[in-house]
Amino acid sequence: MIKAILIDDEPLSREILKRYLIHFPQIEIVEECNDGFEGVKAIQQHQPGIIFLDIQMPKINGFEMLELVNPMPPVIFITAFDEFALKAFEANAIDYLLKPVSEDRFTKAVQKFLDKSTQPAATTSLLNAMSQTVSQSNRIVVKTGSKVKIIPVHDIQYLEADDDFVKIVTAEGTYLKNKTMSFYEQSLDPHQFVRVHRSYILHISQITKIEPYQKETHLAVLKNGQQIPISKTGYGKLKVILGI
Amino acid sequence: MTNPKALSISRLPLAGVAILWTAAYAAGLHYFFALDWQTAGIDSFFFNLLTLIALVFLNGIISYLPRSAIFQIVLGVALVFAFSSQWIAQQAVRQLIPDTTYHDFVNQSMPVRWAIGFILLLASGVAFVFYTRWREIAEAQARDSDTRLLAREAELYKLQLQLQPHFLFNSLNSINALILIKPDQAREMVQQLSDFLRLTISRADEPWISLSQELAYLQTYLAIEKVRFGHRLEINVQVEDSIKDFTIPTLVLQPLLENAIKFGLYGTTGKITIQLIAESKDSTVLIKITNPFDADMQPSARSGFGLTGLQRRLYLLYARNDLMQTTQGNDTFTVNLIIPPRS
Repeated sequence: MIKAILIDDEPLSREILKRYLIHFPQIEIVEECNDGFEGVKAIQQHQPGIIFLDIQMPKINGFEMLELVNPMPPVIFITAFDEFALKAFEANAIDYLLKPVSEDRFTKAVQKFLDKSTQPAATTSLLNAMSQTVSQSNRIVVKTGSKVKIIPVHDIQYLEADDDFVKIVTAEGTYLKNKTMSFYEQSLDPHQFVRVHRSYILHISQITKIEPYQKETHLAVLKNGQQIPISKTGYGKLKVILGI
Repeated sequence: MTNPKALSISRLPLAGVAILWTAAYAAGLHYFFALDWQTAGIDSFFFNLLTLIALVFLNGIISYLPRSAIFQIVLGVALVFAFSSQWIAQQAVRQLIPDTTYHDFVNQSMPVRWAIGFILLLASGVAFVFYTRWREIAEAQARDSDTRLLAREAELYKLQLQLQPHFLFNSLNSINALILIKPDQAREMVQQLSDFLRLTISRADEPWISLSQELAYLQTYLAIEKVRFGHRLEINVQVEDSIKDFTIPTLVLQPLLENAIKFGLYGTTGKITIQLIAESKDSTVLIKITNPFDADMQPSARSGFGLTGLQRRLYLLYARNDLMQTTQGNDTFTVNLIIPPRS
């Protein structure tokens, strides 16, 4: 038996999927969710074999929700508008269905999943593909304990590399995100965020002064008094952006 | 390109003025210089004929002349034609009228005649030049305002037709589901969606509408949204009876409501109530749309679109930027709209 979760904020949309899934007795719907928060919880609880996921949903969208679940289940996206199609395919989604969903098309997608499910679905690249969600929106969604936190990018003071994670530091606290520094370097607005060091990305509005440190390196002093090292190349980038 | 011919003064009024001038010239000769009517008439006819032909000629060529040297050319033409026409006229009248006292009078008056001819041609030429320029400027302005009007209409049209594709496809998806589950309701929704689309398209040509008609249109829209989100969506509409016939721009309320629903539904997770209140104030109508809102939410990037489009539309219609205000409470978001009477 394969466990499935439907995540869509429109009941009728879930209803039609349920009808279509009747023809697949090997797939059991364990839960239906109205939004991403419920989705995160349900995925954690059931560890489903597949999820059917809408993209435009209350509070956090489908891509943002996926960033919060670990491990990521195989996904079939179901959405009304194809602006996300490319991203979803980059995401190695099993399939990407457009509303209104035809039964024929749906059946093919599920069949594709069943054929593939002997090998683990490659969902890791999904993380990278979702990178665009940061640049397109102006927020980062993180999970602290069981709570979901939405951080506006302008609240970020700096980001610091921390093994396989990136530490996102705000005035309110520090959050870990399973991403790379170069991912954030590319996806955050380069006019506001500068990679000043191999391990640091700084929000330039946080800098109060820059002091010389050891040879060819500098220290940035932040508004809260904290000091962040600046490498030689990082200093060069800062000089360009700050016009010094 | 403007047709240069269209810019010159038309011939008929010019001919009228020419006849009047010739008559006045003859009358002047008769009363001031005691010429008999016949002599005065012949004199006036010949001395003015060639000048007037030169004038018509000048009027005809004026728009073809090079801009940079136009006054020099007008001056030259006036000089040449004034002297030559008066000289030819002098020879002609001497042949026609054998009276020697008259000949003496003509000879003595030649400098004055040259001056009159010259001034007449020069003044008319300059007047033609200015008239032509003025017509050109007026035409350019008319064209310019026409273009602007067209562009404005195109922009309005585009803004009006900014239907959300999400809305359409999601509605079709709901219908698809209803066909399986509740076919009767599916048929109803097809009807509602058709009504909504028909009204949306038809009003593209109709920039103004009565408040009550707009509300009826909104009902079709809300009916569809209720089917999609019925479990979460509650809508409360309060409109003063006295303003039901007030004229408002089309598709102003719908994007606002759409926005409120989008923010309300996508910004929160529970049940929501959207409120629309319309009341009169002085000569205007105040419309207030409130939706629940979660202050912790950072709206994703594209969400403000509906409001900017509307702001632009109101500016195009009323040339005012202060008609729409938004206020953000702890858990509500309110749009206050002032609709002035249609000018």
